[in-house]
Amino acid sequence: MSSLPLLPATDPQAPFALYRGAVVSRECFQSQVMALAAALPASERVLNLCSDRYWFAVSLFAAIARGIMTVLPNSAAPEHLAAVAAEQPGLLLLGDQDAAPADHLPYFRVDTAASNSAISADLPLIPFDRLVACVYTSGSTGTPKPHYKAFGRLRLGILAGAERIWEAAGGPCSVVGTVPIRHMYGLESSVLLPIFGGGRMSTHIPFFPLDIAASLAEMAAPRLLVITPFHLRKLLEADIALPPVAAVLSATAPLSAELAQDTEVRLGCPVIEIYGSTETGQLATRQPCRETVWHNLGDITLAVRDGETWAQGTVYQTPQMLNDTVELLSPSSFRLVDRKANMVNVAGKRSSLSFLNATLAALPGVEDGVFCIPERHGAQDVERLAAFVVAPTLNRETLLAGLRAHIDPVFLPRPIVFVDSLPRDGNGKILARTLDTLIQQHILDRNTP
Amino acid sequence: MSLQSTAQTAPDLALEREMAGLIVTALNLDIAAEAIEPTEPLYGDKLGIDSIDILEIALVMSKQYGVQMKADSEDNARIFGSLRALASYIGEHRAK
Repeated sequence: MSSLPLLPATDPQAPFALYRGAVVSRECFQSQVMALAAALPASERVLNLCSDRYWFAVSLFAAIARGIMTVLPNSAAPEHLAAVAAEQPGLLLLGDQDAAPADHLPYFRVDTAASNSAISADLPLIPFDRLVACVYTSGSTGTPKPHYKAFGRLRLGILAGAERIWEAAGGPCSVVGTVPIRHMYGLESSVLLPIFGGGRMSTHIPFFPLDIAASLAEMAAPRLLVITPFHLRKLLEADIALPPVAAVLSATAPLSAELAQDTEVRLGCPVIEIYGSTETGQLATRQPCRETVWHNLGDITLAVRDGETWAQGTVYQTPQMLNDTVELLSPSSFRLVDRKANMVNVAGKRSSLSFLNATLAALPGVEDGVFCIPERHGAQDVERLAAFVVAPTLNRETLLAGLRAHIDPVFLPRPIVFVDSLPRDGNGKILARTLDTLIQQHILDRNTP
Repeated sequence: MSLQSTAQTAPDLALEREMAGLIVTALNLDIAAEAIEPTEPLYGDKLGIDSIDILEIALVMSKQYGVQMKADSEDNARIFGSLRALASYIGEHRAK
């Protein structure tokens, strides 16, 4: 298939980012990409651990310009990095930190003091199908797995998303994201969206509410806030003044209708929810205050084959299977029914952990909660669910009474373990192995005589 | 060295104790407030505090002392490096 220029043709003087208070033009971004591309040592793959979003982007596109695959681990935990390094031979570590952010790999420090004067270098053409990035699944359904992304297909997905998001926001925005840049959502929505879709990139990855406010304030309006439901809730709870926001983008965990409405009332802007996965990238969007139906992006269509739902379209080299059960309304619109991996069967009755979790989380007094299936030893006639619940004002009886009103009694948790908080990761997910540890500590160990 | 600068750098033990109590309550930690060693890391395995807890602590600090935490990642690591560092930051910035 055809080749595409590394970066889109735009007004070279158009502002692209704000780095330490200075405006970085599109032309300057392009020069820094090409300067780094020329400076990179020959290597097969790079592990991009830059902490600043701007230098992460410069490094990513410099590697693409050189035909080098970028590997994006889903955490910086030493054990995960070691597993990635074992699976990806010939890795060169790229970072913007003085000290190497990981051990046991050759380190190339990106020169963040590099001249920002425009150097004229022709933009290389990148083959549509060239694999440029390896993203790891987050592990909420098991162990992290690599997934490879092709340049042209990534770009097409971003353009389709940009069309939808800019329409809701009233035009291309300054993009401020609180989400991890090495996960698919943060990569697509906070890095690639401003690059391919037009708009401006915030270099910060703000954490505290006031940081989020400051990151928004320093960027020119209109502004898009890219965030997760958990972080969004804490931002609203902090009750601080925020600059005008043109739209809020949420993904990684279901956004409750209540939180979506609170956000629209408080910020006075539309909330857009993205449906996607590491495997599919962003696949569909909806505005939860207005619709329950998801609308596919671009030419993506869904079809059911052999009991599975498959996504196909130009953005996919081969059809990609969905991790969820959906109700197709047309090839390009659907309702989310369930996360397939979470289907449970208790005493012949079927339900899903996502439905049970949503029910639990919606009970008055419940701040957080998760159902699980402890693998107990010994013969059991019936597999029982358990739940970890954060609900300081409730006791077992009131919680069970609340649940009983909504779910079949076979799904009531035995036991209910009250905990102070649930260890969610940067994307608001509880990893499978984290849940396993909780089960071991609170349920299995406790039951051991 | 002036008296004033000595006063600024000496740890405020009363504030540290008060904040330890607030943290233990806010996070429902299964330990006594005195068990938080002022100079030991807040993050990590010993107390089991993670980044989600840090957001919770920040909310409590803003309500109790009128201090909105604001930090880039490096400062964040320093301020939450220990109870003493956090108390020193709050002591300097408190509005209540």
